[in-house]
Amino acid sequence: MNREEEFKKIVAQYCKVSPEDMTGEMKFREDLGFSSLDFMSFLGEIEDTFDVELEEESVLKIFTVGEALELLNGMEAA
Amino acid sequence: MNNIRTLWEHCRNDFKGLAAVRWLEKKDVKEISYTGLDEAVTAVRKGLAEAGLSGKHIALIGTSSVFWIESYLAITTGDNVAVPLDANLPAEDLVDLLNRSDSEALFLSPKLKALTETVKAECPKIKNIWFLSEEDDQPCLTQLRASGEGVDDVEGNGEDELATIIFTSGTTGKSKGVMLTQNNLASNVASVQYIVEPGCVLMSVLPIHHAFCLCMDWLKGFSLGAVICINDSFLHMVRNMSIFKPEVMLMVPLMIESIYKRLATADPSVPAQVLAQNVFGGNLRIIFTGGAHLDPFYIGKFREYGVDVLEGYGMSECSPVITSNTPDDHKDGSIGKPLPNVEIRFENDEILVRGSSVMKGYYMMPEETAKTLEDGWLHTGDKGYIDEDGFLFINGRVKNLIILSNGENISPEEIENKISLSPLVAEVIVTGEDNGLTARIYPEKELAEARGMDAAEIRSSIQSFIDEYNVSQPTYRRITALVVRDNPFIRNATSKIIRAKALEDIPA
Repeated sequence: MNREEEFKKIVAQYCKVSPEDMTGEMKFREDLGFSSLDFMSFLGEIEDTFDVELEEESVLKIFTVGEALELLNGMEAA
Repeated sequence: MNNIRTLWEHCRNDFKGLAAVRWLEKKDVKEISYTGLDEAVTAVRKGLAEAGLSGKHIALIGTSSVFWIESYLAITTGDNVAVPLDANLPAEDLVDLLNRSDSEALFLSPKLKALTETVKAECPKIKNIWFLSEEDDQPCLTQLRASGEGVDDVEGNGEDELATIIFTSGTTGKSKGVMLTQNNLASNVASVQYIVEPGCVLMSVLPIHHAFCLCMDWLKGFSLGAVICINDSFLHMVRNMSIFKPEVMLMVPLMIESIYKRLATADPSVPAQVLAQNVFGGNLRIIFTGGAHLDPFYIGKFREYGVDVLEGYGMSECSPVITSNTPDDHKDGSIGKPLPNVEIRFENDEILVRGSSVMKGYYMMPEETAKTLEDGWLHTGDKGYIDEDGFLFINGRVKNLIILSNGENISPEEIENKISLSPLVAEVIVTGEDNGLTARIYPEKELAEARGMDAAEIRSSIQSFIDEYNVSQPTYRRITALVVRDNPFIRNATSKIIRAKALEDIPA
């Protein structure tokens, strides 16, 4: 499983959309039904799974699956 | 004397060697004992006296930290009044609340340093700002503690004097400062029927400026000799549970719902006990919850993992607990029995409350106070009934407030006022739907026509305005859905929009 697939699998735990049907434009709140806390809890799982440290201030600016993935990939590059 | 000073002195004397607070610094667990915390509290209290602050309102802006609670206790065990504010509010709202609360000093999180200049420029009454830290190039707790050395200690405020002002959403679109006395807080702490052994581990996950967290996690926890562990971020709640291994936690329903998603999607072959260990840290026995409705479904589900979910009911105006289920006396779906210091009666199904935890009134809002408090009876705005066993149930609301499952009370008018600043918005109603906020908007048709905008352009322009609003707001006040209406809202005989019919269209 590559990074993106693993990422989407974690997203899918919090919603009813399967990883295959997930697109980058989908908004966590509006399209996937995440509550604000689901989102935080999800990011906590992302940190643990990919061994990265996210900052609360920067994640508050994330609205879509694509933006979250981009942030994660950016951290990998760094 | 029934005040916070007496409450705290009992903690200091009875739980001397025990740990009072644990928190994380990077990945290390730090700890302070009741004795250590008392020394810090006393030093800050004397420092405030040295700064000439007596009988003054002192604000705190920051998230949960040992420095926050040290400062809060220093204010309220002395002769000043604490004004805790939501650190996530936009600067303009914080300035407004600092001014409206007549605060004369401020404890500020170092993360909000950027706010300092704004406060200095726009809050003329604020004479001192101390950062909630021990190392800073600006005045912080270290200097304040040192300044109190050799100064005579002050007496604690009397039980009928104010201890704290807590801001809560107002139905008129302006938040209201709930005035709670020393006795209000102390009697609420004493009346919640719950006892644990000293040394019991609690983890605090709720915002500390909320009455539920402040009184029940912190003041109640201290009164029992508990170790209160600080969850530094919602991002790490599950991880922190495995670090601190709490036995008891206070949560809002949203947290319970979110944790349940983790439990429900786990590999079914993992035994419940192992899963509970992974998700709850291994020692969690009790979750107290309140602030919003919880579906009883979750209570049954969490029981399967060995965790009792006990629902209660309260509001800032009641310091805050009114009723609570207890480990020995509970009923699923109800919000528990009234505390011994509380009387309840009903008026047109609305729950009215009287007792020693009921607030003094709203700060500088005599009309709002008179509307809410009549002969000592507080109108809760909630409808309910008491069953044959004495348990209270809620079944509706009489006020406009939107209660989200994270316990935040949202005044729709407050947000509507901001959204209506867009020239393209003719009418707006904000509703709570699907546990988020929906803006229902009837656009300014003439302006749109003059600009040659079609429906898609109108929508996109309004959405951009909302996106801009959202960025400036804490997550719970963000608009999560937009509905653009073809027709104006239905109005009553006095031309007021009928909020209850906001989802309907004018009949053809």
